[in-house]
Amino acid sequence: MTANRPYKYLLKITFFALIISELPLPDILYLASPFWILLFYVYWLNFFSARGGLFLALILGILLDILHGSLLGQNALALILSSAFIINIKQSFYVSNLSTQQVYMFIASIIYLVVILSVHILIQGFDFSYILLITPLSTALFWAPVQFFLSKLRH
Amino acid sequence: MKFLKLFIPVFVSIFLILSDYRFSYLDNLRQFTATLISPIYFLVNLPSQLYIWIDEQGTNKHVLLNQNKQLKSEILELKAQLQKYNSILLENNKLSNLLGASYSLSSENYTLAKITSIAQSRLKKQLVINKGSRDNVKVGQIVSGADGLVGQVLQTTPFYSAIIMVTDPTHFIPLKSERNGVRGIGKGRASNVNQIDVKFIESNSDILLGDIFISSAIDSKFPHGYPVGRVSHVEKHQDDSFLHIVLEPIQDINKIEFLLILSQENDS
Repeated sequence: MTANRPYKYLLKITFFALIISELPLPDILYLASPFWILLFYVYWLNFFSARGGLFLALILGILLDILHGSLLGQNALALILSSAFIINIKQSFYVSNLSTQQVYMFIASIIYLVVILSVHILIQGFDFSYILLITPLSTALFWAPVQFFLSKLRH
Repeated sequence: MKFLKLFIPVFVSIFLILSDYRFSYLDNLRQFTATLISPIYFLVNLPSQLYIWIDEQGTNKHVLLNQNKQLKSEILELKAQLQKYNSILLENNKLSNLLGASYSLSSENYTLAKITSIAQSRLKKQLVINKGSRDNVKVGQIVSGADGLVGQVLQTTPFYSAIIMVTDPTHFIPLKSERNGVRGIGKGRASNVNQIDVKFIESNSDILLGDIFISSAIDSKFPHGYPVGRVSHVEKHQDDSFLHIVLEPIQDINKIEFLLILSQENDS
């Protein structure tokens, strides 16, 4: 049913992803927590054939930047580039088994992390917590439950 | 065509980064969008608010009476201290008039706010409070706890505001030593431990462990004299003309529930 209304479904899961990314957690857990918006958006990109994927990534990234009080465009650029990677390997991603998909997610989240850290370092200097480097791993690990949950939500 | 599809959003986001970093043209857009998505803060805080409400409903009457007694005695004590402060303030104004000094202590108004959540960004140390533009909270206002400075208002929506903490690595604050007036610039650390580095204090300056640094009004954005941190580490490097000073914030953020938003009288 939802496959006919991809944008409505995207709106729903974006709202959900923004809420999860805002949940108060202890510092260490928060730093190591997955890139929720990337997980949810990659699911949408792969299971819906809608147009304008990169422009939507720009809008979602801007929303996240505003919600987090970050530099405007920082998360947007990271989400655009990691989504571009996923769109490029979309066919292979769709037919792969779960562990291969997790490897793809790991690479996509490394791209995401490299972009946000590069912008941060260029503008504010080399000063960040190294726990952040765990994030690609946690994003890859959370792909399985997120995929399961979102497919339940879709049907 | 495929290249353009990637190039345009990338170009737009780079443009946004540069313009947000260098200029403030996009502040209105940010403010408007923040207002639109502010229900997310409400939904995120709903479970904890519900828990607090249930907890308050079940509080014992005896406990409340005891708490009331204790608070009354604290108010009395604070009123006595305030009398002393007021007399010092009067004396200070008289002396300023006698000396013909243009400097005078500014009076401040306070708005009480409750912390609703802490740390909502990976690269920033922030907290969210339950007061927003509807309560006259403005970007840039100073936020203090009972013991010392906490931070500055970064973003406001009608019902919530985000506060950037003094321990945030992107936040800078002018400081001076309470003991001898040596000035420096405080900058938060990116580590998980809440600490502040003090920069640009010459290596021959007299700084000791335990010294307290207070806010300085040198850039006229911060009020003078609010405690910020206590020196926990001082190091002198042979090849560096500045001291390496680390402060522990005086206000422990994990121990407070309420904050005061300061507004100077000419703000409102």
